[in-house]
Amino acid sequence: MVDVTDHELVPEHEILDEEVLEEVLGEYDIDRTDLPKIKRLDPAIPDGAEVGDVVKVTRDSRTTDRAVVYRLVVE
Amino acid sequence: MSTDQSPKEIGSLSFGLMNPEEYREMSATKVITADTYDDDGFPIDMGLMDPRLGVIDPGLECKTCGKHSGSCNGHFGHIELAAPVIHVGFSKLIRRLLRGTCRECSRLCLTEDEASEFRSQLERTRQLGEDLNDVTKSAIRQARKQDRCPHCGEEQFDIQHEKPTTYYEVQDVLHSEYSEMVAAAMEGRPVPQMDEDPESTEREPMPPQDLSEETGIEVSRINEILSGEFRPKEDMRKRIETALDIDLTEEDMNKLMASDIRDWFEDIPDEDIETLGIDPAKSRPEWIILTVLPVPPVTARPSITLDNGQRSEDDLTHKLVDIIRINQRFMENREAGAPQLIIEDLWELLQYHVTTFMDNEISGTPPARHRSGRPLKTLSQRLKGKEGRFRGSLSGKRVNFSARTVISPDPTLSLNEVGVPERVASEMTQTMNVNERNLDDARRYVANGPEGHPGANYVRRPDGRRLKVTEKNCEELAEKVEPGWEVARHLIDGDIVIFNRQPSLHRMSIMAHEVVVMPYKTFRLNTTVCPPYNADFDGDEMNMHALQNEEARAEARVLMRVQEQILSPRFGENIIGAIQDHISGTYLLTHENPRFNETQALDLLRATAIDELPAPDGELSKTSQADGGADGEPYWTGRTVFSELLPDGLELEFTSSAGDTVLIEDGQLTEGTIDEDAVGAFGGEIVDTICKLHSNTRARQFVNEVATLAMRSIMHFGFSIAIDDESIEPEAEAQIDEAVENAEERVQELISTYDAGELESLPGRTVDETLEMKIMQTLGQARDSAGDIAEEYFQDDNPAVIMARSGARGSMLNLTQMAGCVGQQAVRGERINRGYEGRTLSHYLPDDLSADAHGFVENSYRSGLTPREFFFHAMGGREGLVDTAVRTSKSGYLQRRLINALSELETQYDGTVRDTSDNIVQFEFGEDSTSPVEVSSDADNDIDVEAITERVLDEEFADESEKAEFLSREAVETNISEHQDSWKTGRTAGVGTEVESDD
Repeated sequence: MVDVTDHELVPEHEILDEEVLEEVLGEYDIDRTDLPKIKRLDPAIPDGAEVGDVVKVTRDSRTTDRAVVYRLVVE
Repeated sequence: MSTDQSPKEIGSLSFGLMNPEEYREMSATKVITADTYDDDGFPIDMGLMDPRLGVIDPGLECKTCGKHSGSCNGHFGHIELAAPVIHVGFSKLIRRLLRGTCRECSRLCLTEDEASEFRSQLERTRQLGEDLNDVTKSAIRQARKQDRCPHCGEEQFDIQHEKPTTYYEVQDVLHSEYSEMVAAAMEGRPVPQMDEDPESTEREPMPPQDLSEETGIEVSRINEILSGEFRPKEDMRKRIETALDIDLTEEDMNKLMASDIRDWFEDIPDEDIETLGIDPAKSRPEWIILTVLPVPPVTARPSITLDNGQRSEDDLTHKLVDIIRINQRFMENREAGAPQLIIEDLWELLQYHVTTFMDNEISGTPPARHRSGRPLKTLSQRLKGKEGRFRGSLSGKRVNFSARTVISPDPTLSLNEVGVPERVASEMTQTMNVNERNLDDARRYVANGPEGHPGANYVRRPDGRRLKVTEKNCEELAEKVEPGWEVARHLIDGDIVIFNRQPSLHRMSIMAHEVVVMPYKTFRLNTTVCPPYNADFDGDEMNMHALQNEEARAEARVLMRVQEQILSPRFGENIIGAIQDHISGTYLLTHENPRFNETQALDLLRATAIDELPAPDGELSKTSQADGGADGEPYWTGRTVFSELLPDGLELEFTSSAGDTVLIEDGQLTEGTIDEDAVGAFGGEIVDTICKLHSNTRARQFVNEVATLAMRSIMHFGFSIAIDDESIEPEAEAQIDEAVENAEERVQELISTYDAGELESLPGRTVDETLEMKIMQTLGQARDSAGDIAEEYFQDDNPAVIMARSGARGSMLNLTQMAGCVGQQAVRGERINRGYEGRTLSHYLPDDLSADAHGFVENSYRSGLTPREFFFHAMGGREGLVDTAVRTSKSGYLQRRLINALSELETQYDGTVRDTSDNIVQFEFGEDSTSPVEVSSDADNDIDVEAITERVLDEEFADESEKAEFLSREAVETNISEHQDSWKTGRTAGVGTEVESDD
């Protein structure tokens, strides 16, 4: 099987710690359900991601060098 | 506007079913007669036009609220239905509820655990803002699997739904010919009702005694069964079935009447409804089955009086008449004790009428029709679709103060302006609040009357009375006008209006212009605003809207004016700029840098703001051949003339589309050709730079002046094109013929290698494909070389060449096709292969692979195409036409979907882009929080941060020394407190040690 996370076009996904998450949610003043979603079975997310976790995606951007997006793992 | 109520904000909306009791309560009257008006033309009491349902005739008073027509919104009435009827809009929900709940105890066929699981799932999806239907659907699917109710143990049957409103329960019942079947099985004969192949099945005969022993049924009972006198009950039936190895059941469709369904739904407990995502406090499922039908107010279905005095009723009224008639017949028949069959027929008829009253486009039911055969427009037809209430009357509506007419060009207007025909200007008005200072103007407008141009159509006195200005009363009225009055005056020069061309695909399709009132009947535009509107003058029409309050006018002026839209947010460069002849004009002016004497130079600049020429570039001399005479006269070059339009201090260097380097130093064009890349719409460097570095106003001025200068210059040189401009010398033609012949020979060679089976296939292609590709390639090269030959023979001053090189219009390819060779025609990206079997036309031999048999046009447009070539060319041309037609309709729909998806997204103050329910779409607008209009950069054009800082610093300081001083300045140590160091570190240093006590 191909591991898509190794592909150069797949950006880095990492699971966010609770504390960091609280900080992020506080910064934007939102609930985690307001975040964009990602499927739990999405091949790009790290193993062990559970429904309800938040994944931090750091990707190359056409307009900035790096763009950070947080996504809530859903079913 | 109502003044007695303060505006309220809508907090939330909730949708649910309506309680029939509520219908009765809000009803103004019960409707019992199908008649509308009596012989004298008065509405009948308790009829469909009952005056309590609202008023439509002016002058009458509403019997319910006492208001007059216009202020009375109308009131609902109701019809008591003789029998419950299904609401078509809920037919799917009814099916789901029937399938998911028990036929006996009406409880949801799920265990407590399953139900609570679904409830929590519902809660979660609700939080995520996703579709609740997915959960409820799966809950029903789960409940449907159960054969028996987990609560009462009752057996569950399958529910069949026959669209739109019939439901059946599929049950197994005793076969109607059970006695024959049992007899046959006992005698060992094949049972015709179940054995498909009577010959092959073998049965042991079984006398009644044996059967009695095996099943425990008395012999007399068995005989009764055999004679058909006794119908075996379920458990007896099963014993016989096992003993005889037969199936005595058959499927029976038991129709569920609306009243049965209503009883069934009444018993569904509240908590089970909640599991299905319905709020029991707001909606009970039995309310889906109608027992009362609300009658819409007359204001929603007004009748119209025709010219001949006849009244014509609204479609809804017609439908309601049908419903009431059938309802009455149903009641009469039931009271008279009519047979069940007739009652059921009437019930179905009532159901049909109520169904079509709500939706007349249901598949499977014939639409209810008007006497003329036209299908009736009932409730759902009023709401649905493009012309429906939502898309047709709420999202978009016809407006006042708008005008539409044909557009035509006017190069003398500024790009900010629009020429408005006098007739339009004197129809569309602006409200003038009269005060001491504009009193004279206001009186003059009124005195001019509605016909004279800067006139007025209406005045409003301070008491609110509105008077029409007529030719007769205008003089008289003008004297009465005082401060405090309002005058609706005609549009005059300088008013701001909104101008629009459909399709409005981007925001530059609607821009604000300043009015210039003009004679004749078309809207006039500066040609430079054609690109943003995508307008041309082949009959295009555009719309204009006059703004009606100061706020709108101010916003339009500041945000929507054409000059504010020069830069397109689509690609961050200018979308307004020189087009077509403007570009040819600047090209002629600057390419060879021609010389002009004083008269000529002044003539070029006469329409611009420049009224003084700079120092001449030199003196004309006899020796120079270009100067043609006039000795000693001073001259100005084209570039110098053009430089007059540039802002002082402009520094720019770029490559023009003609290929040379354009150099602008301190606002002087020193080198290069000004063409599309410099001043054109869609990213002309100079326009773009002026817009970003100077201002929109300066850019507007520049574009206007470039356009006028270019027009003057193209008129100076003269510019025309004719068929002879595309002709080339015979020797060139011979060369082209030779090149084409060569190519055709090479194609023949390819074909013969292919026929000999020697053609090597390219990787991943078959031999056939390889041949096709190679032929296409060869012929493509042939056309290109024909083009090259033709290009070589064209003079540089050939107008077609000038247009192609400068980017004004057309390309070298177009020229090649006109002068050299049209080339291969293609359909679907391949050579033309369609037509007959093995050949394109019967003029060719079958399987002829040669160039001309598959659509290669070796002639040029100028020399003319042969009939066969013409035919192939038409095939290729047709494809292009079809493609554009399909593309526009596809992109229109795509546009609509995109707008709907993105319409409520908004950038918040924290830089995030969110939708209306606060879901984050982007964490940072565009990931860099920058507007493409303010900053532009792309792959090969980075943001030049250095240059920007340099420029900002240069603007900030008067001279170098000041700047150097500022840059070298070091942060001065402040000394406001002894504790400042601790503030910085956040550490409290030496508390108590150095602080002296206050006392």
